[in-house]
Amino acid sequence: MIDLQIPTLRTERLILRGPEARDFESFAAFFADKDHSWGFGGPLDRNGAWRWFASMIGHWVLHGYGFWIAETHDGDVVGFVGIWGPEGWPEPELGWVMFANAQGKGYAFEAATEIRRYAYEVLGFETLSSNIFPGNERSVALAERLGAHYERSFENVSHGTEWVYRHPNPDQLSEAQK
Amino acid sequence: MTAFALHIPRLETDRLILRALCEADVESEAEFYASDALKFVGGPMRPDETWRAVAMLIGHWAMRGYGFWGVEEKDTGTYVGHVGLWNPHGWPEPEVGWTLMNHATGKGYATEAARAARAHAYDVLGWTTAISLIDPDNLGSKAVAERLGARYESLFEHPAFGTMQVWRHPAADALADGGMEAYA
Repeated sequence: MIDLQIPTLRTERLILRGPEARDFESFAAFFADKDHSWGFGGPLDRNGAWRWFASMIGHWVLHGYGFWIAETHDGDVVGFVGIWGPEGWPEPELGWVMFANAQGKGYAFEAATEIRRYAYEVLGFETLSSNIFPGNERSVALAERLGAHYERSFENVSHGTEWVYRHPNPDQLSEAQK
Repeated sequence: MTAFALHIPRLETDRLILRALCEADVESEAEFYASDALKFVGGPMRPDETWRAVAMLIGHWAMRGYGFWGVEEKDTGTYVGHVGLWNPHGWPEPEVGWTLMNHATGKGYATEAARAARAHAYDVLGWTTAISLIDPDNLGSKAVAERLGARYESLFEHPAFGTMQVWRHPAADALADGGMEAYA
């Protein structure tokens, strides 16, 4: 028996909750869209998307953190945002994906801000980074809006070269918010 | 709170314990999947790929309500492999599967654990039939299937894994007490 408890987090416009089997179709559609999923290791066919989705749940079991599903207060799923640190990653990262219908609304910023707070205040993380594919300007813009700065590039074990953006640490963040 | 209670029951056989997979198993699996004898089970894989595979095995329980158990020797606690019930997206139907670590083959463990997994499928989950998918060249696995009373039925073409043989197990109602008597 594995008792996996994923906390539900709330922001002004979003509910962040654990993934459930019913969310799979949204992921399959995302991973099938090459233009949209290339910055996240896509595209993947439905079989590949299913396996990725199952491994995302297993990541929660193995690490105690992972990706939350972001949905509006009306229950529309808009994307997934969380802390991702599978084997081979240099360190756990703050990651975000907004589905095609939900971009440009500031949802990723809102969700990532809350999850970074949770990582620092509840999980006790002392730093966080985000790994971004070179050329993913949308993600770079969001990282910068979150106060993160380019630190270095590295070779991701499964996806090749990525940029590391370093977030403000807990002290810097509370200083910035004064 | 999203509460996932993954009801992964603990099963016991004469010599083995089947229990939930855990982080400690990743190391044994990574060593196994790094070896080059792995062509029948999707290997070789890098350690990061093996980690994701184990995460997927655990997540399968959340998606389907059943999955692979980590299997250990009752006497020593030594991890011997993963055996269980498997039905990822794209599979033709649910199967009984077994993957034993290199040091654990030749002892009848796969047969013993798979019989317990199949009995769980029939007696607890209410399956009426079960298959096993086997690489055509995997003679060891075919021998296990035969010991379990399964028979070759057809070929299945998987878009990523290629041609596999479908072996059909005796139906639930053909096995008195789900076959549990074999090791009770």
